[in-house]
Amino acid sequence: MAIEVPVEQVLMVAAGLFLLGLLGVLVRRNIIFLLMSLEVMMNSAGLAFIAAGAKWGAPDGQIMFMLILALAAAEVAVALGLVLQISRRFDTLDVDAASELNG
Amino acid sequence: MLEYLWLVPALPLAGFFALFVTEGRLPDKIVAVIGAGSVGLAALVALGAGMEFVESGEASYAQVLWTWMAVGTFTPSITLYLDPLSLVMTGVITGVGFLIHLYATGYMWKDHEEPEGLSRFFAYMNLFVFAMLMLVLGDNLLVLFLGWEGVGLCSYLLIGFYHRDPENGYAARKAFVVTRVGDTLMAIGLFLLFRELGSLDIQTALGDAGGLDAGMATAIGLLLLGGAVGKSAQVPLQTWLPDAMAGPTPVSALIHAATMVTAGVYLIARMKGIYDLAPIAQLAVAIVGLVTLFISSFTALTQTDIKRILAYSTMSQIGYMFMALGVGAWSAGIFHLMTHAFFKALLFLASGSVILALHHEQDITKMGGLWRKLPVPFASMLIGSIALVAVPLTSGFYSKDAILLTAWEHDTGPWFWAGGVLAALMTALYTTRMMVVAFLGETKTESHDASRINMWGPLVVLAMLSIGGGWLTFSVLDDLLGAIDHIPHTHPAALVTVVLPLLGILLGYFVFSGRMNVNSLVESSLGGALRRFWQSGWAFDWVYDRAFVKPFLWVARVNKGDVVDLLFRITAAVTRGLHHIGALTQTGRLRWYAANMAIGLIVVVLIVASV
Repeated sequence: MAIEVPVEQVLMVAAGLFLLGLLGVLVRRNIIFLLMSLEVMMNSAGLAFIAAGAKWGAPDGQIMFMLILALAAAEVAVALGLVLQISRRFDTLDVDAASELNG
Repeated sequence: MLEYLWLVPALPLAGFFALFVTEGRLPDKIVAVIGAGSVGLAALVALGAGMEFVESGEASYAQVLWTWMAVGTFTPSITLYLDPLSLVMTGVITGVGFLIHLYATGYMWKDHEEPEGLSRFFAYMNLFVFAMLMLVLGDNLLVLFLGWEGVGLCSYLLIGFYHRDPENGYAARKAFVVTRVGDTLMAIGLFLLFRELGSLDIQTALGDAGGLDAGMATAIGLLLLGGAVGKSAQVPLQTWLPDAMAGPTPVSALIHAATMVTAGVYLIARMKGIYDLAPIAQLAVAIVGLVTLFISSFTALTQTDIKRILAYSTMSQIGYMFMALGVGAWSAGIFHLMTHAFFKALLFLASGSVILALHHEQDITKMGGLWRKLPVPFASMLIGSIALVAVPLTSGFYSKDAILLTAWEHDTGPWFWAGGVLAALMTALYTTRMMVVAFLGETKTESHDASRINMWGPLVVLAMLSIGGGWLTFSVLDDLLGAIDHIPHTHPAALVTVVLPLLGILLGYFVFSGRMNVNSLVESSLGGALRRFWQSGWAFDWVYDRAFVKPFLWVARVNKGDVVDLLFRITAAVTRGLHHIGALTQTGRLRWYAANMAIGLIVVVLIVASV
């Protein structure tokens, strides 16, 4: 017997996760934590999709979530390469060190 | 041949293009053949077309080439229009033009600074002949204006032909700028004409000219006179012509004596319909002519450069033509244009031979006794001179006589006649001075006559025309130009016009060969001051220098920073400032961008939600 969870509560959890992620992106300077916060934000979006798919009884929400998973995997693959380059070039993981591209 | 009329301007144009695209890579002999040959062929076609035209007895012949553009009712077509006036002009341009080109093949043979100089010279000359032909054959004021500006351009290019001397470049710019003043007036006149009559087609416009009110006709007449004054070097825009003598001598003969400077005369004669409606403008034409006639005759008396003497003489003879048009002697004016083209081209070419033989010595006081050394140039100069002085039975006599007799009968009384006769006396004096000082007396310089048949051949032909050209009037031109009033030569006024030049020659001979001592008169303070005043061309250059050139240079110096440019510099500075402000937001910090995106998104959501 499945437990019915109201969609509003799920969405509120998703929003909370999203805010946490955003806050992480804005305040953390370590690029690894930045990427992790990004993952949290994407998963919150995925959670909202799942909740919406369950509410309407449509499979689209789950498909979108799988898409987001694939996207996140690809993003991490690229981002880890960048992290490697930054740590080699600047000898630190502080993202503010890589701010030469300014006007 | 009449249907081949388009070949007359097309041949010199083709010659120009042939010389232009090869950029001086052709050997000099081929350049000479193309340069002189194209004009020669054009002269032959013009002769054939002219003979057929005269035989046909038609009043005019028009050949439509193409429509230039069609904008509503404004459909100017490129049309060649042949009538007696343009036929005479075409004959002079191609005929005299060919002789001068032929002469130039000799004169310019070694007389150019760069290897491609000969090619450049003939390219410009051919372009000039084309532009001049379009000027006189164009049926449309637009085509006329195209030719008008074209000859101005070629005049500029050829005055500055020896461009290594900055003086020549200055003379070329002066000619261009001064004539531009007249051209602007003329353009305004053409705009007015188009606004009032709605057509730039000359025949249509003149046909409708009766609808003009008198004030407008006078305004148009005076504005067109302004253009004619600039192009024909009349007072007050005459100052460029003496300096234009910086160009090669054949150029002086073709452009600054025989053809281009008479374009103003042609313009006024062509627009006769306007001047018939505007007696005041016509009187202004006569007055301009008379004033120029006077000023330039006195100036010619004091010059020492042989080409400048001839230049001032040209101005005075064109003054005669203007006076003729002004007093209503239309045919006589055009007739004088033709005879003047013969004898003045002859005088210039002969003086060119003298200058070449003396290795570019142009000062007549350094010549002397040349008649023995340079018989052909001397004989040519002599024939040209007696035609210029209007000795009876020469061509100049018939034309000048016709002008003076019409002036005698002018409504305002014999004032124009009196002025013209006095100027004729002055003409005799300065011409005699030039001949006596340069050719008689003691030999002062070495001379070496190197002219060949292509140089003295044209001199002989032009000499024959200078003598016999006057008789043309009794056969051909009478039919063409309408009646030149042949007042019997027993008229008292006619007697004066015959006798006075002869007196002038005698007087000039005695004074300038030193047989009559006038030193006390010349050396007196008044005489000296007057001589210097005349020599400076009645101080026109001095006045213009103070009134226009110096103030302009002063303004240019003061305004070195360019006030007008300030507007654009301010625009640039403001844009640059905005750019700096915008660039401040680009910090390169990833988290700053993310925060901005988040804030921006929140703002957008809030706006959307509140709507």
